[in-house]
Amino acid sequence: MSDYIRRLPVYLLLDCSGSMMGEPIEALRQGVKALLSELRGDPQALETAYLSVITFDSHARQTMPLTELMQFKEPELRASGATALGGALEVLMDCVENEVHKSTETQKGDWRPLVFILTDGSPTDTDAFNRAVQRIKGAKIANIIACAAGSNANTTYLKQITENVLMMNTLSAGDMAQFFQWVSGSIKMSSKSLDVKPDGPIQLPPPPQGFVVVP
Amino acid sequence: MGEVAEAILTDGRKIQYVIRENPPHGGMKYTYFAPDKSYVVQFFNDPAVARNPNLRKRVEAIIGKYNPTLAEQDGGARGNSPSMASYFAGRFCWPTAIVEYPEFGIVCPAYPPNYFFSENVAIIPELSAELRGKDKKSKWFTSAKLRRYMREQELGDFRSMLQMSISLARSIRRMHQAGLAHSDLSCNNVLVDPKSGSCVVIDIDSLVVPGLYPPEVIGTGGYIAPEVLETLEYPYGDEKRNLPCASTDLHALAVLLYEYLLLRHPLSGPKVYSQDPNEDDYLSMGPRALFVEDPRDTSNRPPDLHVTIDDLGAPLKSLFLRAFVDGLHRPNERPTAMEWEKALVKTWDLLHPCENPDCAAGWFILHDPKHPVCPFCGGRIDERDVVQLRLKSQIHGRAGQWVGAENVMVYDNMPLFKWHVFSNCFPDEKADRTMLAYVCKYQGQWLLVNHGIQGMTSPGGNLVPVGQAILLKDGAVFRISNEDKGYLVEVARGG
Repeated sequence: MSDYIRRLPVYLLLDCSGSMMGEPIEALRQGVKALLSELRGDPQALETAYLSVITFDSHARQTMPLTELMQFKEPELRASGATALGGALEVLMDCVENEVHKSTETQKGDWRPLVFILTDGSPTDTDAFNRAVQRIKGAKIANIIACAAGSNANTTYLKQITENVLMMNTLSAGDMAQFFQWVSGSIKMSSKSLDVKPDGPIQLPPPPQGFVVVP
Repeated sequence: MGEVAEAILTDGRKIQYVIRENPPHGGMKYTYFAPDKSYVVQFFNDPAVARNPNLRKRVEAIIGKYNPTLAEQDGGARGNSPSMASYFAGRFCWPTAIVEYPEFGIVCPAYPPNYFFSENVAIIPELSAELRGKDKKSKWFTSAKLRRYMREQELGDFRSMLQMSISLARSIRRMHQAGLAHSDLSCNNVLVDPKSGSCVVIDIDSLVVPGLYPPEVIGTGGYIAPEVLETLEYPYGDEKRNLPCASTDLHALAVLLYEYLLLRHPLSGPKVYSQDPNEDDYLSMGPRALFVEDPRDTSNRPPDLHVTIDDLGAPLKSLFLRAFVDGLHRPNERPTAMEWEKALVKTWDLLHPCENPDCAAGWFILHDPKHPVCPFCGGRIDERDVVQLRLKSQIHGRAGQWVGAENVMVYDNMPLFKWHVFSNCFPDEKADRTMLAYVCKYQGQWLLVNHGIQGMTSPGGNLVPVGQAILLKDGAVFRISNEDKGYLVEVARGG
């Protein structure tokens, strides 16, 4: 019977460039841990949400393939190198293509994936970035939410990827915890809400205090 | 522990609550606990909602003259006796007071401890740790995927799920009887304890109250009635928009009962309505919703349906067909909560323990004595252990003429109550729940032992005093009580 329950694929694109070294990367680890624990405690999220982590430094890779929450193992996160956000978006597109089940006439597919991008800088692979943006714009395959963390984060790039851009002022443990709390709230909301207007915008909880929605 | 704050209630009383960071948030409200956790104080997420005078009027009515958990003499619902009030106090988490300061809010009793997960409830330690102290939403016990994570002893069995179903139908019947509608019945707003077969209805503040403005709630995905979902595009207040009301509660109630008893959603099947997943969801729960067990249109029927509404016996089968075939898109045809309560109680008397020790369900509905097979595991009951009591009531004004009223399938150590003895008794909140007789199997024979019935008469016409028994032979006929309204019993053994 569980075959008729759609999966909600969730992709986390996490910046592990050198500038994240120290407290930020530790806060990121804690954030992923907290997110996982929050979601496991929510029946609808545990039933439907599947999680994947894509990390990027000088290169981008899928650190954790799309996995059921109870089977999910926290990825090892280390900070070094540059910010291959473009590469990460390309990896994302490939993963979505390979991992997300599309509906057919006889088989129900997955929900549109939710993608959360967290970065503290701007892409160092601008060619790849521009390519990826074109690909994403054309495909409309996911609901993407980007968060620019800290004063060096560049929201102009993020705005090219998605309408939904948030800014958090610092990379402190407290802000990071709030961000992940909000991410878990968004996932929980998506796993419960039944979209009443099929083409309507994605519904998200109000951003945490101190976070700014970039217009 | 966080900082202790003080709330002032309408009558000037001051109560304490503990401020904490990230208090639990629902769709409408967030919650703080009392220092001793015996009650909660809830405030509204949206200050504009809290300032709405319609909300205050509604909550005042809910707390006062519509309150089934408060006796009439204490300001509660009309006709509510103290014993009825205490019966429903355990089945609703009903608001008790309005908070005036620091802002508009409500006070509710805390849920009883059995609605919170204790330790070691899941087979995976991380999940047990995560669940400890969280409230028991029914998805944990009705979703095939989530059930696999839970320890067996948390899941209850088929009998406890049926007991839970009766409790829910009764609570909603009580609410509707007063003219109230819950408006957001869902797996999140009914907490369950399958172990004890009990449930509690929560989030009572968004009730639809007669004569007052309805609340602006939509409901929860999977439980919203099709006619509400289909008209959400119209603004609130537009006459084309269908708002939640008693008949939409009846859709949600039927969905919950189906989930409790058959552990699946009645409308989630394999049928693909659209290749866009959101549109597919909308169509499958809204305009084109189709029951997975629809007898005429089987296009949404999963190929692997083993246990179906046929296995629940005729009374429940007919109500599920009314709810999900006739009434799915015609709200007036949905069975009422009272009808559900009656059918579930009838069905309760057909329960039989499964003799297979490995059967996860443990119990099943023995609705067909000629085919005493557990639908969950395929285990067969020995024909000699199929014993049916056919209860017949006297036709009013015609002495000696009897008509079949209820059927009771008995099993070893089954208790019988007043409603099995007298035709004018129904096991509702007013019923006397003292055991009056019991059935037992003794040295291969089935006996009905009198435990407190006056006037029990043997098939031969002799009085059977308390402590004595009647042998349940096939075809035996006797008065279980010769007092007024006492049933005539006919015993039917075997297949």
